[in-house]
Amino acid sequence: MAGFVFRVAGLAATGRSWVEGRYGPFLSRRAPTFGVRVRPGERYRPGRTPRPSATWDGGRFALASHPSRAEGDLTRRRVAFRAGPGPALNPDLFRLLCSFLLMQKGGVFLHASAVVDGDRAWVFSGPSGSGKTTIAGLAGDRPVLNDETIALRPGRRGWQACATPFYGSGGPAMARVNERAPLRGLCFLEKADHFAHRRLSPAEAVARAFPEVMLPKRDGRVTERLLMTLAALTAAVPAWELAFAPDPALWGYLDGLD
Amino acid sequence: MDWTDAFPVRKSVPWRTLDTEALVVDVKGGLLYPLNSVGARIWDLCDGARSVDEIVGMLAAEFEAPEPTIRADAIEFIERLADAKLISIERRRTGESR
Repeated sequence: MAGFVFRVAGLAATGRSWVEGRYGPFLSRRAPTFGVRVRPGERYRPGRTPRPSATWDGGRFALASHPSRAEGDLTRRRVAFRAGPGPALNPDLFRLLCSFLLMQKGGVFLHASAVVDGDRAWVFSGPSGSGKTTIAGLAGDRPVLNDETIALRPGRRGWQACATPFYGSGGPAMARVNERAPLRGLCFLEKADHFAHRRLSPAEAVARAFPEVMLPKRDGRVTERLLMTLAALTAAVPAWELAFAPDPALWGYLDGLD
Repeated sequence: MDWTDAFPVRKSVPWRTLDTEALVVDVKGGLLYPLNSVGARIWDLCDGARSVDEIVGMLAAEFEAPEPTIRADAIEFIERLADAKLISIERRRTGESR
């Protein structure tokens, strides 16, 4: 996924079966780039649910997404999950891990859907209810990379939009392909009964993207890196504010954006 | 309040200038503040070396607007930055080093 291959160890048979079902289209036989060891033992603690967190000090990092947490080492390319109750490989924590590792490579996990039209990907971002899944549902024969979480990664040929297994309200059908495509543009959504758009300045685009990045933003080093990444992204990729009606004419409208 | 001896100082928070605009992150709140070109200039000038009066004087020389308008807007903006804990206000006499 997004250039990462994880080897997951420590799962019981039921956990392995759950992971194979949940992440099926993304299973790979390639050599792993990062090792994940799942360990039971995070006990259920009644009380207020703590916020997700990501802290980073040199090569060591710690991530938490209730009720699981993880501690890892970037140089040794290893992370230990304390799974706690619930899924064997808590998708929220796994997504946070992927997001953190992608940040190290100069990319971001964005709260967005993405559709490949022609040979390039449109990325549609916005808060819950803004229309990400609605647009994915308008894709027709066009490949949907995901309806909730998209990995954006810089490469030698520019920025790429990469599929992830972390789907939204569209369900598993929205995470069936493990593909990537060059990024055509970023659209920040508003539902409407008509089509309208406004080109965003890089600063406006960063301001719109920042809250949609799937990383806790209470660590100075994380946010510093995030600002740098979003500045590079919005300098290279055009961004628009897009009002849209739920109509397949959308794709023709997007062709005309400048 | 007498702003002559008030020296705004940016706190150590992540920030970045893009073109003429700026983006400042409140890490404790996990929030990003986008600043327009005037706000970005004020933010840039809040380096602890200039009093609010001096900042207003520089803005008046750089932007076309009546000085009283610039003063009122700049002070309100600086107060908002201070309320958001993105800057602190140091009190010392003009010319006195930090």
